[in-house]
Amino acid sequence: MKWIATVGLALLLLTVESVAVKYLGFSVTRIDVTVTIIAFLALRAAVVQGAVCSFLMGYLLDVMSGRPTGLYVFLAVLVFLLGRFANNFVDVGGRASFAVFAMGLDALHMLLALSFTWMASRDAGAIGFSIGGLVLQVCLTGLASVLLFPLLKKVVPEGSERTSEIGLLR
Amino acid sequence: MFALLKRYRELIVVSALLLVPFGLFLAHGTVPREPNFVDRTVLAITAPLERALGFCVDSVVAGWKGYVDLRGVREKNQALVRENAELLDKVRALTEAELENQRLRGLLDYAQTHEGREIAARVIGVNPAGTPLSIRLDRGSDDGVEKGAAVITHAGIVGQVIRVTGRTCDVMLLTDPNSHTAVMVQRTRSRATATGAGGGQNLILEYVRRTDDLKEGDTIVTAGTDGVFPPGLLVGKAIDVVKKSAGMFQSAEVVPAVDTTRLEDVLILPLVHWEAPAETAAVTARDGGAREAGP
Repeated sequence: MKWIATVGLALLLLTVESVAVKYLGFSVTRIDVTVTIIAFLALRAAVVQGAVCSFLMGYLLDVMSGRPTGLYVFLAVLVFLLGRFANNFVDVGGRASFAVFAMGLDALHMLLALSFTWMASRDAGAIGFSIGGLVLQVCLTGLASVLLFPLLKKVVPEGSERTSEIGLLR
Repeated sequence: MFALLKRYRELIVVSALLLVPFGLFLAHGTVPREPNFVDRTVLAITAPLERALGFCVDSVVAGWKGYVDLRGVREKNQALVRENAELLDKVRALTEAELENQRLRGLLDYAQTHEGREIAARVIGVNPAGTPLSIRLDRGSDDGVEKGAAVITHAGIVGQVIRVTGRTCDVMLLTDPNSHTAVMVQRTRSRATATGAGGGQNLILEYVRRTDDLKEGDTIVTAGTDGVFPPGLLVGKAIDVVKKSAGMFQSAEVVPAVDTTRLEDVLILPLVHWEAPAETAAVTARDGGAREAGP
């Protein structure tokens, strides 16, 4: 049932983030808490379980974004798979390394979101990209990763098959 | 077939999870879909939580802002209290100046309408012993004050100088039992003597002939026959008139026109021998009646 708790945690964090955005006025950037959880899933969860959790979290992000197009669902699963693949080449154990790992995935997630949005709309003004916003969002996500790391260790399910197997799906 | 599906189960599931939303995005990427039942459920779950979190944040922010505002209010209040104290002090000073101005204006009016060289003086002390009832002024022999001089205000007579030093003089008030002032009833010109009764009591009007017309409320003015006060100065109002069935005189009291317990500024009249008016009409013609100007 840990995957339900993971999705519930994502829902809670997204809600908190929406309130924080409202009060702190993150007009340029935000804290990507879902990517933090997806990054942890990529490190610990089994592939199907992690993909389903990522799918659900992407769906939550899609719904909470106010403009559900399916993009964030797709990106959540994609980032999970890419993170899982990258985990084969890096050793992520502690908080700091996890934060760096999550920051990398967050930057990738943001760039992919911008790219797909641009491809869909062909309107450069619609994506509102800024290097400063990207850096700030990545840094804030890294900070959130450091803070959430102990909680994620307790909540996020750990896949038994994730030991030393190499590969995207296995 | 089933074996194949089972073998590639994970690949199929993950591919579906990846490609279905991607397909949806490609199909409807520019047009967001309308929220369905699941979307509404998710939003229904998060909305109360958002409201609760918003309420908590609002409470904390309001509490913090209230605290900060209160700190500001406290400092502002202290500044306002200081400013208020300063303003009150200025108001008190202005009120005092206005009252002093009124007193001095009254004295000036008297000085301008009466002949002679009056000496303006200020009360600097009151005899603490109470006997005689006297006050101390800040003018003395250096200023030309002589023993026996009359002391008045614009409202009426005050008393007589009984002791003079270089820079001060003591004035026996007309309410002192040793004070005897020659007076007359302004309306009838009947002469009498106003004697102090001590303390805060009224003056005693003595030696009014029983046959004279004296009514309560009659204005009593100085007669000018005692060589101290010029004639026509206001002494007070007659009250408690008692006409005895026998004897030569009737009795009455006089409420002094000047409250001698609240004196601040006075005029000292030069010591001259006033001539008593030959008759009532003469006095009235000269002074135009007693001055009854009040504070």
